[in-house]
Amino acid sequence: MSDSPNVGHRQEEECTSVALTHDILNPLSIIAEVKSPKAGAIVLFAGTTRDNFDGKPVTHLEYTSYPPRALQTMLSIARSVKEKHSLTAISMIHRLGVVPIGEESILIAVSAPHRQDAWRGGEEALEECKEKVEVWKLEEFGGDEGGVWRANRDGATGVRVADHKE
Amino acid sequence: MSGKPPSEHFRLLYFASAASFTRKSSDTFPAPLPISDLFSVLEKKYSGITKAVLDSCAVTVNLEYVDVEEESGKEKAGVVIKEGDEVAIIPPVSSG
Repeated sequence: MSDSPNVGHRQEEECTSVALTHDILNPLSIIAEVKSPKAGAIVLFAGTTRDNFDGKPVTHLEYTSYPPRALQTMLSIARSVKEKHSLTAISMIHRLGVVPIGEESILIAVSAPHRQDAWRGGEEALEECKEKVEVWKLEEFGGDEGGVWRANRDGATGVRVADHKE
Repeated sequence: MSGKPPSEHFRLLYFASAASFTRKSSDTFPAPLPISDLFSVLEKKYSGITKAVLDSCAVTVNLEYVDVEEESGKEKAGVVIKEGDEVAIIPPVSSG
């Protein structure tokens, strides 16, 4: 695929950071990135991989991305959410490649002088990411069914990996 | 990403369902090509891809989104893919 393993991608500007990585995500380090004496609140969202989709067991989960496009989208989301909710800092990171069940696939940390802005900013950043960032999730159910590319916008349906015949 | 395309060609990147359907991460095609012709060129090479994949996809040219439907409705030539461009098929996303 286009993203070679173990190569990290990151874009930063003042109090704003977005990244893609193949490494395990570290909640403490993303909290440290947004911590500030100006901020009385930090909100951390950690999205973890589920072991089922609508009750069907998921054996294996993998994320792929178009890194330069995804980073551009993440940065524009981070900028606009930071501005809109008067955040002190915002940091978002998405994991790529195989993510074992129960591990974090996305972390979003925001800090703000007061908790209301931090809660709202954190929620909006996540919802925007799920709607727009150019990252794709492949769910493997095991057995003969093969994998399914999930689509956030409709949730219920996905495109089977082996849907077509040669 | 996948190196420079040969001269007078552009590179087309496939992700997720598009990569599964074509069983590749990219192709090169001759340039210039009006963006409105892109899906029919792909359908010729990968029969069935329009209905199975492309109908729900967006397209970027050099990282910027281009509205293929709108371009196809134009009488006069709209956006044209040029030599060396990086074009990508963007299926519905599923981050998080």
